[in-house]
Amino acid sequence: MKHPVRPDDFDAVIHERVRLAIVAALAARPQMGFTELKAALGVTDGNLSAHARALEEAGYVAVSKTFHERRPHTALSLTRSGRAAFQRYLQALRRVVEQGAGPDPEPGPSPAPR
Amino acid sequence: MEREEALARIAEIQRVMERATRYTLLPGGVAMVGGLMVLAGCALSWWMLGSLDFAAMLHLSVAGQAGFCLLWFAIGVAGIVLEAVLTARAARREGLSTGGRSTRLALVSLSPSVLVAMLLTYTFLIPMEPRPEEVQYIVPVWMMLYGVGVCSVGQFSIRAPRLLGAAFIAAGAVALLFFRDWGVVAAALSFGILHVVFGLHVIAMRRRGVP
Repeated sequence: MKHPVRPDDFDAVIHERVRLAIVAALAARPQMGFTELKAALGVTDGNLSAHARALEEAGYVAVSKTFHERRPHTALSLTRSGRAAFQRYLQALRRVVEQGAGPDPEPGPSPAPR
Repeated sequence: MEREEALARIAEIQRVMERATRYTLLPGGVAMVGGLMVLAGCALSWWMLGSLDFAAMLHLSVAGQAGFCLLWFAIGVAGIVLEAVLTARAARREGLSTGGRSTRLALVSLSPSVLVAMLLTYTFLIPMEPRPEEVQYIVPVWMMLYGVGVCSVGQFSIRAPRLLGAAFIAAGAVALLFFRDWGVVAAALSFGILHVVFGLHVIAMRRRGVP
């Protein structure tokens, strides 16, 4: 028998909608440029920066800064622990769907104001 | 968390993952310039052949036939070079690697059908005495196979390329069945006009802020 859904089954860091969208996009692609990710999610520079920083601090996202033809290029990718956290979050969602309802997760970190 | 919220989150995750894997480097300018080059090529072909039928090339001198083939080869090469240059520019603008996933997707999706079209063109043209009815197959075959390739690219992209591919296949089928002796017109309407319309649509989409 499957165990009931507990509040800590939902990772508070990726429960926030923009952060969940960032993790989902990076789960589908090995790496995405900052501009490309911003366009795919329809968020502002500041919003994406702040949430990406929260994910980076949690160790879920790796950010690399390089230069392409003298232009700065920021790329984001999911770390191993980020991918595992995303899998756990999906499993928790699946259990809520199967069991009908689950507890609300604890509030996660808010992005720092810019 | 309620079941409905969990379902909504799963749906949102699916939407984001689909959007992240779309091929969005659709250079509208390439399609437009390519279409205009084809229209110029069609006008030149009409002037060279004195007919709207591609099979009329068999009545040209050997030098004329070589020049006619060279004209279309040059248009094809110019289209590929233009696409490579403008796609690389679009990739730089979007902060992507120029030899990245989008370029690979376009190459992998388009090249099989283009290779088949080239092989068929070779078999239609190379016999010692090419038959006019086989030469008339060239334009519809290129239209349909190019359409198949564009449809393949469209599987990783937004709806517009899939529609363009379907339009090429449909137009190619009509040309094959009913208008084989109107090859110059078929090429102008498909590779020319359809590309220009597609390019304008992509540019308008970009201006509306659709990624």
